[in-house]
Amino acid sequence: MSVSFKPIRTLLQTGTNTGSRWFSYIGLGIGVLLLLCSIQMYINIQQLLGGETQRKEGYDFISISKTITNETMGQLEKNLFNENDIKDISNKPFVQGVSPLTANRFRVQLSAGDIIPFSTDMFLESLDDKFIDTVPPNFNWKEGQDYVPIVFSSDFLEIYNVFAPGYGLPQLSESTASQVMVYITCFGPNGEKQTFRASIVALSDRVNSIIVPKNFLDWANKKFGNTTDVKASRLYIKTQDANNPEFLSYLQQKNYKVNKDKTKFGRVKQVLQGIFSGLGIFGLLVVILALMLFSFYLQLMIARSKDNLQLLLMLGYSPNWLSKNVSKQFIPVYIMVVLFALVLTEGMQWAFHHFAMFDRPELSSMLHWAVLSTAVFLIGLSLLTNYRMVKKLLYKLV
Amino acid sequence: MQLQLQQLLPVYFDESQRNNSEVWRKDLTFNKGEYVKIVAPSGSGKSSLMHFLYGLRNEYNGNIVYNNNDVRKYTAEDWAGYRKDHVSIVFQDLRLFPEQTVYENIELKRQLNPFHPAEKIKEMTERLGIGSKLNNKSRICSYGEQQRVAIIRALMQPFDFLLLDEPFSHLDDKNSQNAMQLMLEEARLRNAAIIFADLERIDFFPYTRLFHL
Repeated sequence: MSVSFKPIRTLLQTGTNTGSRWFSYIGLGIGVLLLLCSIQMYINIQQLLGGETQRKEGYDFISISKTITNETMGQLEKNLFNENDIKDISNKPFVQGVSPLTANRFRVQLSAGDIIPFSTDMFLESLDDKFIDTVPPNFNWKEGQDYVPIVFSSDFLEIYNVFAPGYGLPQLSESTASQVMVYITCFGPNGEKQTFRASIVALSDRVNSIIVPKNFLDWANKKFGNTTDVKASRLYIKTQDANNPEFLSYLQQKNYKVNKDKTKFGRVKQVLQGIFSGLGIFGLLVVILALMLFSFYLQLMIARSKDNLQLLLMLGYSPNWLSKNVSKQFIPVYIMVVLFALVLTEGMQWAFHHFAMFDRPELSSMLHWAVLSTAVFLIGLSLLTNYRMVKKLLYKLV
Repeated sequence: MQLQLQQLLPVYFDESQRNNSEVWRKDLTFNKGEYVKIVAPSGSGKSSLMHFLYGLRNEYNGNIVYNNNDVRKYTAEDWAGYRKDHVSIVFQDLRLFPEQTVYENIELKRQLNPFHPAEKIKEMTERLGIGSKLNNKSRICSYGEQQRVAIIRALMQPFDFLLLDEPFSHLDDKNSQNAMQLMLEEARLRNAAIIFADLERIDFFPYTRLFHL
């Protein structure tokens, strides 16, 4: 039917107050904006803190050590975790994984070469790769290789930067720290020594240590150390919830000490995600509210033009055709409202990435596809609810 | 094309009212090309009958059958198609869009299923003496003028049956005859039937069948 809707449009606008219409447009816009922003921020958090970092698949990673008391002081056996300790703890239901932090059993000296005249005795540790938050692809070592990659605690770098000026040493940024070539010298019990080139390949927020590839430390402990024991001074634990009371009481009973600082990051992420989930739900509620408001506006409009619409139906206008065309009137408006919200969300994302996150590579200035598809979905949803509403109201007039 | 009334009676009529009627509770068949005159005093159910035939109300017993289809089974869409293509009506209470002009009122009907080109609107309004009112809102036209608008509007579409419910109540004889002439011509063009209900007999309607309601 090639009937024109143009003459009919004027029959619908019989002095309906535009105020309530604009109110619902604005409400819809705000709701959509809130919803889209929340989704985008949720994804941002996921990309910044999520995935392979702090809470791997939603787990907490913490390190524990035995509390050194006056009674156990000097007794290495009692202060280290043995095989039984490790087996015991890994069998607990609240523990999803355990990895010993193996330390060096020989003397290690670190020097920074000629550029930075700095050398110190220090320690090395190794840990299963899957327990480290940042593992770059070049974090490996083969026997015979004189270069050793290091994953360095970002806290240690901070400490270094605190005392460096007092020793006349240059302060280092994260990026220059990884460019500095350092030398690791291992000393054996009989005076033999070997020097390796090393550099920081990644900084870790989670592991408070200087981590080298596991096979390097195993090899070096065998070569320079005086023991082949696997005893570890620290254990790394993967758990669903580091604040689980059962878990905490177990640690207390065993007299283990927890380094819980690093779990806080996981908590922060959880809280942030909670906040943005809440905001997203709130946004969804506002969208629903706006759609309801809009349906009230539609009801009002149809009630006011009831006589005209009834007469049109009486003249032979198809109710289906009329509902389609009446609801079609609002398609451009809906699309405009959602597009407007989308543009604002994009602006927010760009500003967040540029000004708050300083263009960090993990994030993108562009919107995530999930946000775009949500926008499309919202347009569809509005049109569908609108069409059904108009149709229902019109069929009531027949 | 056939319109059948089978034992039709409004539910709100008591059985005594059918006794004198030649329509209620009878079996009648109307065919295309017939001119049916229904003489109906006030309160005899004239408008009810017209509304039943046009599908505006359905508080009746018995059946109305159009083309072997019981109109009770019509959906809203079916009614729309029926009113658009097969049956046209001039209401007693006219039912124009008050805020639209005379032209717009007629065009709204014409565009739905045009039997005539748009130029015909001007021609017909001039013929019935309301040519100068085309751009006036219908609510400011006199009742007689509005009646002529309603008549012209009913002639814009194709139809098999033209239902007239006291179409001349506010027209003088000359204008009535003029309008009747136009409707007869239009009915002849479509070989359509006219079902004309009025309070009394009108001499200038050349009916082929006469009923007392």
